Amino acid sequence: MRFVLRRLLLFVVALLAISVAVFAMLRILPGDVAAVMAGVNSPPERVAQLRAELGLDRPLPVQYLDWCGALVRGDFGTSMLTGRSITTQVGARAAVTFPLIILGLVIAMLIGIPLGCAAALARGRRSRAIYRLVSIIGGAIPALWGGMLLILLFGRGVGLLGVLPSQGFPTSGWGTPGAALASLALPALSVGVIVGASLMRYTRSALGEFVASGYIEMAMSCGMTRTQAVLHVGLRLAMPQMVSVVGLTFAEMITGVMVIENLFALPGLGTGLVTDVGNRDLIAVQGELFMLAAFFLLIGLVVDLAHRALDPRLKASADGNEVSA
Amino acid sequence: MAENPGAHGQAGATTPISASPSETASTDDSLNARVKTPRKRPWTWIVIAAIAAAAIIIGIVAIVNWPASQPAGQRDSITIGLKLAPTNLDIRNQSGSALDQILIGNVYEGLVARDENNQVVPALAASWKESADGLTYTFHLNEGMTFSNGDELNADDVVWSIQELVDKQYHDADSLANFESITAVDPHTVELRLTKPNSNLLWTLAGRCGLVFDKDAEYDAKTEAIGSGPYLVTDFRANDSITLKANPDYWGDHAAKTQTVVIRYFTDDNAAVNALASGDVQVLAPVSENLAGQFADDTEHYTVQAGDGTDKYVLAFNGAGEHTSDSRIRQAIRYAIDHEELIASRGGADAPLGGPIPSLDPGYEDLTDLYPHDVDKALALMEEAGYGPDNPLTLRLEYANTYGTDLGDQLRSQLAEIGIDLKVEVVEFSTWLQDVYTNKDYDLSLVDHNESHDFYQWADPEYYYNYDNPEVQDLYAQALAATDDADRDELLRRAARIVSEDAPADWLFNYRITTAWANGVEGFPVNLNQTQLPLWNLSYEG
Repeated sequence: MRFVLRRLLLFVVALLAISVAVFAMLRILPGDVAAVMAGVNSPPERVAQLRAELGLDRPLPVQYLDWCGALVRGDFGTSMLTGRSITTQVGARAAVTFPLIILGLVIAMLIGIPLGCAAALARGRRSRAIYRLVSIIGGAIPALWGGMLLILLFGRGVGLLGVLPSQGFPTSGWGTPGAALASLALPALSVGVIVGASLMRYTRSALGEFVASGYIEMAMSCGMTRTQAVLHVGLRLAMPQMVSVVGLTFAEMITGVMVIENLFALPGLGTGLVTDVGNRDLIAVQGELFMLAAFFLLIGLVVDLAHRALDPRLKASADGNEVSA
Repeated sequence: MAENPGAHGQAGATTPISASPSETASTDDSLNARVKTPRKRPWTWIVIAAIAAAAIIIGIVAIVNWPASQPAGQRDSITIGLKLAPTNLDIRNQSGSALDQILIGNVYEGLVARDENNQVVPALAASWKESADGLTYTFHLNEGMTFSNGDELNADDVVWSIQELVDKQYHDADSLANFESITAVDPHTVELRLTKPNSNLLWTLAGRCGLVFDKDAEYDAKTEAIGSGPYLVTDFRANDSITLKANPDYWGDHAAKTQTVVIRYFTDDNAAVNALASGDVQVLAPVSENLAGQFADDTEHYTVQAGDGTDKYVLAFNGAGEHTSDSRIRQAIRYAIDHEELIASRGGADAPLGGPIPSLDPGYEDLTDLYPHDVDKALALMEEAGYGPDNPLTLRLEYANTYGTDLGDQLRSQLAEIGIDLKVEVVEFSTWLQDVYTNKDYDLSLVDHNESHDFYQWADPEYYYNYDNPEVQDLYAQALAATDDADRDELLRRAARIVSEDAPADWLFNYRITTAWANGVEGFPVNLNQTQLPLWNLSYEG
C-alpha cells in the first residue's frame, strides 16, 4: 500500500515538473500564433491587436498560472486557432492513433513473440543465423520505406493486389467500422513488422537469459522437454520483462507512428502535434504534450504495479526494505 | 522419472528423437536426446507467424465495406483533394488563402466576385455605378436574398459587415484604402464613399473585404459558417477535411449542381496522388507536376491541365542587408539564376516571370529580358563588388519548409558558379514569419506570394523587402488614384519595370497550378483555383 502511495506521490510531482518544463520550453520557440493568424499581408498593429485579444501580451508567469489553474480543474483549454477544446481535439486524433497502435502492437506480438521463442529455442547454427537475419532485417526497415512497399503491394488503385486503402481515414470515422479498420490495416502492418522485430529480439534475449540460467535445466530435470521448459517456465519467468517492454513500446509508439500517419494521411496525434507546433498554437501543444507525458507516466505506473503482481519476489523485497527503513 | 516422460501427457514428449548429443549440457544421453529441438521447428514457427499475419490481413479485408458500385450517371457526391488546409473557418480573423479558396463564393458571398480571368463580376450586387470623381460607388443589390439560416440579406447586412471590418480591423481591412463611409440608401441600395479614388476598390471588394455576414446570427465563426452562398459547411475537421452540402434555400442562380462536396487536405504529395488513383478523390488541385505523369498518360480516365494563377515565387534580397544592399550583388544574382532550369526541374508547367506583376494582374508586361541568364555578366558584377569564385561571398537564404528543399539546393549550386556561398536554412513557417517578415533579419528569402493585385508590397518601405524607391511609391499612388483603367494599367506597368530594374528580388517563376481530375468531372475551375474556388458548377458523371 505504501508502495502504491509513494508511486502516486511521485506521479504528481513528475506531472508538476513536466508542466513547468513544457510551458517554458515552448516559449523558447520563435514566432507566435498571432503572427501566424495575421499572415504575410498584415501590418504589425494587426499582430499586436491579435496578441492582446488572445492574451499573449500578459506576463508569462500569469499565463502559466492561468493554464495550471485550469489544468487542476481538468480543463485543458481551448485551441486559439481551431476554437475547439483541446480535449475534444485530442480525443478525435486519439481515435485514430490508439486503434492504430493497438492493431500494430497485436501484429507485432503475433510476429515477435513466437519468433522470439523459436529463436531462443533454436540450437542449430543455421537456424540461429536465419532468426538473427530475420530480426535484423525486420528492425532495419525504415518505417517510411516499408509503408511505401506495402502501398505498392496492397494499395487500392496503385498496388499489385490493390485491396486496401492507402491513405486517409473515413470522414465518418468509427461510424463505419469496416472502412475505418481497413484504412488502418496497411499502416498497422508497417508498424507491426518493425515493432515485431524489436519484440522478437527482446523475447529472445529475455528467454535466453533464463535458458542460460539453472531454471530450465531444473525444469528439464523434472521431466520437461527443453521446449516445454522454455515455453512454460522460461516464458513465465520472462513475463515481467515482457510486460515492461510491451508497455513502454506502446507509449513510444504514440509519437513513433507519426511517420506512418503522415505517409498514410491519417489525422492522428503525431501529425496533429506537428501541425500545432508549426502553427505555434501553444495552448494546444502544451495540453497535448502534458497529456502524452501523463499517459507515459501512467503506463510506467501500471507496468510497475503489474510487475509486483507478476513477480512476488519484488513485493517481498520491497516490503523488507520498508521495514528496515 | 526421466524414463517415463509420458506422464506429462505430451504426445511428442515420448517420441524418441535421434540426435547428436554434442552441444548439450547433460551427461544423460536419454535427456540430451530430448533436449535437441526438431530441425523443422524454426520453419514451423515462421510459417505460424506468417499465417497469423496473413489471417489478420485477410480478416480485415473480409470485413471491409466494399464501395458498392454505383450505376453510371450523375453522382450526388464528389470528393476533391487540396493541399493547404485551414485551421479554422474564421475568415474575418484568420489569414491564409486556404480560407478564401473554400469559403468565398461557396459559403460566403461578396458584393462582387471575380471570374476565372480575374475580372470583377456581379454577385450580391447586381450592378454598381462609380461617380465621375471616383469617390462614390453605388451598389444595387439583388432582391430576395437570404442567408442559410433563413434571415433576409439586405443593405443593412452589407453596411454592418463592411463597417465592422473597418472598425475592428479584421484581416485585410487595410486593403480597403481611402475608405470614408458606407450607408444604406434603401434596403437594396448601398453607397460607399472614399476620401480619395481607389482604382483597386472593386477588385478588393471581390475578396474578403466585400464579404457580407448576417448581422443577427450568432455562431462560433471558428467552427461554423453561416453565409448566403450555394453551399453549407456541415462538417469541418481542422487540417483534415471539410464537408459541404448544397444550400436548399439558395437565393441565386449559382445553385449547387452536386449535393455533397467533400474537401480533403493532403500534406503528402504521394498520398494525394494515391487518393486520385484509387478513386477516393475525383479531383486533385494542385497535383505535383512531377507526379502527374501517370494521369497525363492515362487520357482515357484522367485529364490533367495547368491553369494560370498569380503565384509568384519571390526570392527577395534584403534591401537593408549588409551585402544585399549593394545593387551589383543583387543584379549578379539575377543574372546567375537559370530560370529555365528551375522550371524544367519542376515539370515544366510554370511560366517565367521577370517582374512583380503576373500575367493575370493589371499592369503586366513581359520583363524576362531585363535579366537574362548570363553567368559572365554576373561574374563581372561580382568581381566589381569584390568577390569571385576564389573569394566567395557567404549569404543566407531562409525560407519556409512548405516549399521543399529542392529549390534551395538548386539556387545554391547555381549561385556557387558566381562565387556566392549560399547557406540555405529551411525553417517552419512561423519561424520565417518571426525572422524575416517581422524582424527583417535575412539576406535572401523565398516565398510564394500567391495574392493577386499585391503590388502595394513594393510601394511600402516598411514591408519586409526593405525596398524604398519614392518613384515607385509615387507611381503606385497615382495608379490607385487613377479613375481610368487604362491609365492605371500604364502607371503600374511603369512602376513594375522600375522595380524589376532595381532588382530588389528575383522572380523565380509564376507557379501554374496543375489540376488533375477523373474524366466525367465537369466545371472545376482550372485558373486561380488556389485563391478562390467556386464549386457550384461542379458535377461528376461516371
